[in-house]
Amino acid sequence: MPGKARLIVVRGDEAMGEGLSYLLQATEHLAGREAEQIPFPSDTWLSPRHANFLYRGEKLVVRDEGSLNGVYLRIRATCPIQVGDHFMCGQQLFRVDATPKDTSGPEADQTYFYSSPRRPSAFRVTQVLEGGMDGIVCCAHEQSVQIGREECDINFPDDVYLSPKHARVEMSGDSLELIDENSQNGTYVRIRGEQELRHGDYLFLGRNLLRVEVTA
Amino acid sequence: MIVCSRCSKENQDHYKFCLGCGAELPRQSGKPRTFSADTPSGTPSSPGRTTNAPQARAAQSGALASAPQLEMDPASFQSARSEPIEMADPLPPELAPLGDQTWPCAHCGADVPENFRFCHVCGHDLHEQASGKAPADAPEERVSAPAVADAPQPATVRARLLLIQPDGSEGESFPLSASPTLIGRSTGGIFANDAYLSPEHAEFRFEGDQLVVKDLESLNGVYIRIEPDVPIELFDGSIFRVGQEILRFDAPIALDSAADGTQHMGSPHRGYVGRISLLIGRETTGNSYPIPPHGIHLGRERGDVVFLEDGYVSGLHCRVHSEVGHVFLTDIGSSNGTFVRVSNESYVPQGTFVLMGQQLFRAEY
Repeated sequence: MPGKARLIVVRGDEAMGEGLSYLLQATEHLAGREAEQIPFPSDTWLSPRHANFLYRGEKLVVRDEGSLNGVYLRIRATCPIQVGDHFMCGQQLFRVDATPKDTSGPEADQTYFYSSPRRPSAFRVTQVLEGGMDGIVCCAHEQSVQIGREECDINFPDDVYLSPKHARVEMSGDSLELIDENSQNGTYVRIRGEQELRHGDYLFLGRNLLRVEVTA
Repeated sequence: MIVCSRCSKENQDHYKFCLGCGAELPRQSGKPRTFSADTPSGTPSSPGRTTNAPQARAAQSGALASAPQLEMDPASFQSARSEPIEMADPLPPELAPLGDQTWPCAHCGADVPENFRFCHVCGHDLHEQASGKAPADAPEERVSAPAVADAPQPATVRARLLLIQPDGSEGESFPLSASPTLIGRSTGGIFANDAYLSPEHAEFRFEGDQLVVKDLESLNGVYIRIEPDVPIELFDGSIFRVGQEILRFDAPIALDSAADGTQHMGSPHRGYVGRISLLIGRETTGNSYPIPPHGIHLGRERGDVVFLEDGYVSGLHCRVHSEVGHVFLTDIGSSNGTFVRVSNESYVPQGTFVLMGQQLFRAEY
């Protein structure tokens, strides 16, 4: 199987240039800021050892090597998502959070806490800013949060990589789903541990966008 | 505007009774009104803390809705909304009142934007300063003290808290004596049944001529209405109230890079100067909004943060922005006002609206 897959840097590290392609001929191929096989030396969002591309029998997989910022895989239409998961749309990074427990019961002295009116919300989506601070928090109105450039629940009119209606997170039954609304640039979800890759998959490692090609 | 034929007080169009004397007001058709051309801070001209603020308040107080339990005729919001309100568009930072429009604080010498009431560095009251500088003829001071016919007050009463009722009229009054007065659920009377008041909620006392309120570490705090168009500085953890919404300002935080030099990935950081979050529980927040340096507007219909369902919020209500490295909250002519939670204690100038528990009061002395 080794040698059948390659990675193409679609958008990436200035020092390395775009359009580079890596033929995955060995059994393991480490990518990172200080990696030898697939180095991205100038991307400070990459950990020194960030991700590893390896073969599992007939399959190519990517494994997050415990990186700070993770590996993001472009979803195909929809994908299940859980509280705590991160995803990307355009230049924006988000986290799915649970609705905190209601703490409006009275104090021991029978005083009630006055809070803003609470609207029922199944979950929330939190924007994560460069540097780690939380940005926008949007509590789901009804069962979904939609993200895009205009007329969504969270709007980023200035983000040219976003489609007008880009993606949404939706509660269906008891589970959450991340849905790409046929956006031009796609929606990416942070992988947990190891993830199988298929021909035509796209990955973000830090600022680098990679395309996976597997020759049959 | 309806001028009372009995006491000449000006009342808002939707009032049924005069705010000053209680006389029934004639119904008036909804003629377009002009918002009183009051510039509370730009041209300080009258002496003392009362300056022209009572006028501004008189023009607005009636529409004050206070507490969450109040229901108000939506029509009153309609009429409140018909006021022409300036600043429909966010002011770009270059238009912010800086530049030549500053003057030195008499106390610490800092350059203070001219429309600030207090020095943003030392807190010195610049209206006092202004009045010394330009002792112009004071605009009509409150002509008639509110004619609430209470029983004769004992001589020790120095001030009163007037309950403002849901329709804007004045209700009971609570006397404040020269010695400290405790307010809370345990003090009974008009406070007894308010589950949002702590048993010992706040203390009012006098410091010289000034009324001071101290929050006795109450659960829900004491809020003071800020004057329109006067920026009030926000600090990390400052809490303010707009309509029924309680918001907290948090200063920005930056996480350190990982030990190996990797930086935290995320959405572009547009120089945010902090963020505001809706408080929905003791330590829990709901929707949050980062604040870019040029600021954000809050309102029911317009602005960056919109509360469509809160009828107590004006179409365009207030603004949070940064200037000279500090973050400020400014009420931009809202009907019901913007209230800031008192941190420990605060002066309560004559005529100030104070929100405690579910009730709204006006301090008179």
